[in-house]
Amino acid sequence: MKKQHLVYLIIGIVATVLFYIFRVEAYESIYSVAGYSDQLYNLGLYDIIPLITIAVAWVMAGIYYYAINSVRFDRWYHWLVMLALVVVLAPVVGYLVNSRIFDENGLTYVAESLTFELVNIMWAAVLFVVASFSMRWWSTNCHHTPIPQ
Amino acid sequence: MKRFLYGLILAFVVASMWSCGSSPLEKAVKQALVQQDTTQARFDSICSIIKTYPERYKDYLNEAGEVDVPALAKLIEQVGGQLRPPMYWDVTRYGLQQLSLTIYFERSGSMVPYDAPGGRGQLKKVVNDLINYFPSTGNVTINIVNDGIYPYQGTIDQFLQDRNIYASTQGVGNAAFTDFQKIFNDILKAQRPGNVSVLVTDLIYSPADTRDVSVEKIFNEENSLATRIFKQYEGKSILVHQFMGDYQGKYYPYNNHPFDYRGQRPFYVLVIADSKVMDAMAADAAYASFMTPTSVRNSYRFNQAESMVDYCVVPDWKDNAGRFRVDHRDASRLTKCEGDKTTGVMCFSVAANLNGLQKPAAFLAEAANYQLRSISDFKLKVQPIEQSMITGNNRAYLEGKTHLLTLTGKLTEPRDEIVISLANEFPAWIEQSTAQSDTNPNASGFSTTTLGLKEFLGGIASAFGTGGSYTTIKLKLER
Repeated sequence: MKKQHLVYLIIGIVATVLFYIFRVEAYESIYSVAGYSDQLYNLGLYDIIPLITIAVAWVMAGIYYYAINSVRFDRWYHWLVMLALVVVLAPVVGYLVNSRIFDENGLTYVAESLTFELVNIMWAAVLFVVASFSMRWWSTNCHHTPIPQ
Repeated sequence: MKRFLYGLILAFVVASMWSCGSSPLEKAVKQALVQQDTTQARFDSICSIIKTYPERYKDYLNEAGEVDVPALAKLIEQVGGQLRPPMYWDVTRYGLQQLSLTIYFERSGSMVPYDAPGGRGQLKKVVNDLINYFPSTGNVTINIVNDGIYPYQGTIDQFLQDRNIYASTQGVGNAAFTDFQKIFNDILKAQRPGNVSVLVTDLIYSPADTRDVSVEKIFNEENSLATRIFKQYEGKSILVHQFMGDYQGKYYPYNNHPFDYRGQRPFYVLVIADSKVMDAMAADAAYASFMTPTSVRNSYRFNQAESMVDYCVVPDWKDNAGRFRVDHRDASRLTKCEGDKTTGVMCFSVAANLNGLQKPAAFLAEAANYQLRSISDFKLKVQPIEQSMITGNNRAYLEGKTHLLTLTGKLTEPRDEIVISLANEFPAWIEQSTAQSDTNPNASGFSTTTLGLKEFLGGIASAFGTGGSYTTIKLKLER
């Protein structure tokens, strides 16, 4: 295990933890709308949705580098397919959770929820990149993906 | 590698717990606030969490093992303050179950005709209602007062059913005069924590032997007496209710030349309690009928401290014009304020719960009763909140609030502070209900006025200090 790779992993973990700690600021710096954002905050969705996004990004990266881990899928576009899956899966799950909790509380913010998930797409992509560069080094067949190093 | 993966998982768990890992008690409080379920049942369920884990939540239990309501109120304030908008839940009223009520029923000569057999008996009805609507009916005692305080000899049921209370209490004390100094001093001295005293009186100061004494002298004496008595009891609060009742019998004016009078006369109910008890009763729906009897004509509370009211800016409301953003850390701060692109006018609404101020609905709904200060000359409109105005999305802002304060104006400065206050002024009805002489029953206003009322109540007001506001809301606006 190279020391440099370990540093990448630690940086990735720290970045992800920091993202989670400052999740409200991270999301609201890009999208904040009166009423909707307050409800996300009060109903704990700023806890749940970022957690889902982190889990999807890191689990998908883990699946790619350690479960798929095949020379047949070690090209950059294979990694890009995983990224595409992440940016679809994370906002869809996030939206479903958001809708369900809002429905339970008699709230209707459809347009705002969709816009919020667009922001979530961006964070999901960033987190997938972070997760990829944190864990790729120990993959036997895909550690050169997406950018050989 | 395994070690790092475990580390990763641990980091997430720690981060998750750090952010949302509040205790079950805090979660229950937050849930109650977010769901706007601030009921006695919900409070009881929160208390049961504390009692289930007495070791964990020992800070919220008193020595007797009961829930320490003020400590729990602090936690609720802390949790509510972190929500958007900050939410409040006044739970102090839940500690009120043990209040006791002491009725002091004046039995002076001029009170007897209020309950004459031929009259409609409004006075007795009011007293009966006060007893019946007091939630802890088991803790009620009745006294008869005139030259002193004498315990009523019958039971509460006998009192309620008594059709001629003055006949059945004949011979109790000396009905020739009412010693306010002794009565109020005795009431206030006897009052223990958690006791609510109610004096039923015509509020006519009738000391012994006023023959040849000028009415001004009596007024001055009355005024000084009231101030002197109440100055000694700073923590008390007095709620004065005015009622009208049928009066059939002899009336005793200040010049000691009694005459027969048949008609209406005002009488008064003075509710005396510690200010904190009064605040808590005012905030508790269970005491609503006791605090505001149905037939009350006018009311005023003395020594009402300025109250904090629960309020929030409604971010999405039909009247809103221009743009603004409510600061997440300070709900009274509006940033990025901009007027409407076409008109330049900015309009926003503040939802406030004014219930705890114990003011009549008409008084609260009248914009003229509010004082507004701002550099940009904003105008205020007040509108009571109706159930039909509450929708799913605005529930968090409107539910539990009673009035919408809508502010309209053009923001002329980069920063402005809007100060809305509801002035606590000596009410006009007291002056309007005051007679300078009560010797002529045919004089206009005899049926609706009381001799020296302003002087006596003014004396109480002087004791407690007047002026100030019932509440103040400050809003900071920034471009």
